[in-house]
Amino acid sequence: MDSLFLQQITNGLIIGGVYSLIAIGLTMIFGVMRISNFAHGDFSMVGAYVAVFIVACIPGWFGFVSSILGAMVIVGMLGMFLERSTFRPLLSRRTDIDIILVSIGLSIVMENLAQLFFGSTPRMVRDPFHGITVDLGFASASLLRLVCLAASVAIIIFLQIYLNKSRNGVAIRATAQNQKAALLMGIDINKVYRLTFVLGSALAGMGGVLYGTLFAIAPNMGVMPTLKAFIVTILGGMGNIRGAIFSGFILGVAEALGGSYISMDYKDSIGFIIIIIVLLITPNGLFGRRGA
Amino acid sequence: MQQRATKACFIFLILSLYLLIGPAWSAEPIKIGILGPFSGSLAHNAEEMKNGMLLALDEINSAGGINGREVELIYGDTSCKPAEGMAAAKKLLTRNEVLALGGGYCSSVNIATSSVAQQEKTPNVVAIAISPTITEVGNSYVFRSCPNSPQVLDGMNAWIAEVKKPKKVAFLMENSDYGRDAEKIWMAVSKRVGAEVLANLYFQIGATDFTTEISKLKELAPEVVFHIASTTEAALVQKQSKELGFVTQWVSAGGQFTQAFFEMTKSMCEYGMGATADPNLMLKNPEAVKFVENYKKKFKDARPGLFGSQGYDNLKVIANAIQRAGTLSGNLQADREKVRNALISTDLELSQGRIRFDEKGQLTNTFVPVVQISTDDRCEPKLFVVYPLNIATKAYESPIPWDKRKCK
Repeated sequence: MDSLFLQQITNGLIIGGVYSLIAIGLTMIFGVMRISNFAHGDFSMVGAYVAVFIVACIPGWFGFVSSILGAMVIVGMLGMFLERSTFRPLLSRRTDIDIILVSIGLSIVMENLAQLFFGSTPRMVRDPFHGITVDLGFASASLLRLVCLAASVAIIIFLQIYLNKSRNGVAIRATAQNQKAALLMGIDINKVYRLTFVLGSALAGMGGVLYGTLFAIAPNMGVMPTLKAFIVTILGGMGNIRGAIFSGFILGVAEALGGSYISMDYKDSIGFIIIIIVLLITPNGLFGRRGA
Repeated sequence: MQQRATKACFIFLILSLYLLIGPAWSAEPIKIGILGPFSGSLAHNAEEMKNGMLLALDEINSAGGINGREVELIYGDTSCKPAEGMAAAKKLLTRNEVLALGGGYCSSVNIATSSVAQQEKTPNVVAIAISPTITEVGNSYVFRSCPNSPQVLDGMNAWIAEVKKPKKVAFLMENSDYGRDAEKIWMAVSKRVGAEVLANLYFQIGATDFTTEISKLKELAPEVVFHIASTTEAALVQKQSKELGFVTQWVSAGGQFTQAFFEMTKSMCEYGMGATADPNLMLKNPEAVKFVENYKKKFKDARPGLFGSQGYDNLKVIANAIQRAGTLSGNLQADREKVRNALISTDLELSQGRIRFDEKGQLTNTFVPVVQISTDDRCEPKLFVVYPLNIATKAYESPIPWDKRKCK
């Protein structure tokens, strides 16, 4: 196989890891609460700005690690607040359009507040690894990118274990499967809602730190992650966490290969083209259960 | 009863306060509409343009305004989208009833908004946007106080043909009128010097991941990559080129060389080239020197850049035309006509040099020098003029591999 092909696969997997991370939060929140959160990418933006301030205080890789943890905590808290104040009151109304409109409005408000407080000038977080490039033999990538891939894979595995083994994790999965049955089994639904939203937001926050460290940080940076996360979520089946994990990597690799071998101009449309094809063939997404 | 008295007192207080601190201008302010992408990914560049305009506004109003009347700017946000730009322009022209329209930025938007100005018969001086189409379509109310892309790239093209003479070139361009127009010009130059064009790659405004594009370019190994991008995208391309170890001579139009760009890329942008009349480089133009000084005084820690300087000149051109138009009658249509007629005979020395318009409303007799980025002792990037040789401040240097550079 030629080196360009392997290089593009590597590029795709790295960006795919970030896509997965952000999309898992979105799909979890949808699975449990049936909320399509169009402000999800703006949660990532907040996480990225947390990183800007932490990295400015703590240099080196330690600053990078603390910014990931800091962003998860702060964005998680933001999620908890918004869930209680904004989303939960809407759930009783049971109309999707209300929730969608509110989340779009929230996205606009967050973007403008960020512009007000942090200014519109885009920033870049200093690479904690000083731009070291690693030659993998078949491809090359910066150490930063490889660390980002490792971090997203690690957190995805950790989340899988948490959801499958812990009591709270099982409660989340039970609620996602059948809310009424879960309620009858004595699961505190409101607590599950809160936990899901906090987890989902924290993942978005961490995704934002990675996205912002790899790329640039600006108030409007949430648009792209939101879009990609929705593509991944639909591709993997709405609410399907395992589907989101694989679809994230599939989208990343498809964009890299499609961009390289079909047409660079349409790189960002490739995701949508895949969605149309997948929805025509399997309407519940690649990994969605029939009749789900 | 008592309540009513309190209310009256309150209103009286507010009114007297207004009269006390209100401006001592003799008449209604003269309203000028300013378009720009004040939100979205280009907001920081629009902010720089606005700062330049605020500096000009200060100078105009502190010198007594225009014929004794204060000047007021009303902003319209285009978000760099033609449809939003048209709505903003329409609002400024019909609801705010501005006398003239300035500002701009984003060629695709200005092609649309200038046609709105033409319809409303309002003078429109475009500040920043280099697609030739804006003035080529023959709108009699449309002027442009900055060079168009052939003018911007004249010097650059001469440098390519006489100094660089590349054998293999490639394109990495923003998919917009800005990118497409520049591509046409550079395709012609490539043909003239006999260079082989290896790839024409496009990306959307707001794109973040360029690793696919750069991996492909690395495989093709062109000597020169022609590159049109705005600040953020251009900075990301530099960063990701370093990550992938790709070395080439980047050649751009220079619009991305802003304070934000240098802060994001640091030394990563070394060896990059562009064509720009950055005011910091125009040491022989006293107006540019004065602009740089005053800008630094008004905006602490801000680098006076090209867009600030173009914004400054833009408002000065409009204000000067209104001044020469004489006393305004109050009939909006007649006044707009007068300002338009005055604009035709503009002849001013400003921070970007001498400003005059040709019969199409385009800035004439302008020259944009070719610049290259080099780093100083502290590895901070700096611009130097490398062509034409008679005004060069530094000799051109070919880019060297990343691991051999002194700034890591």
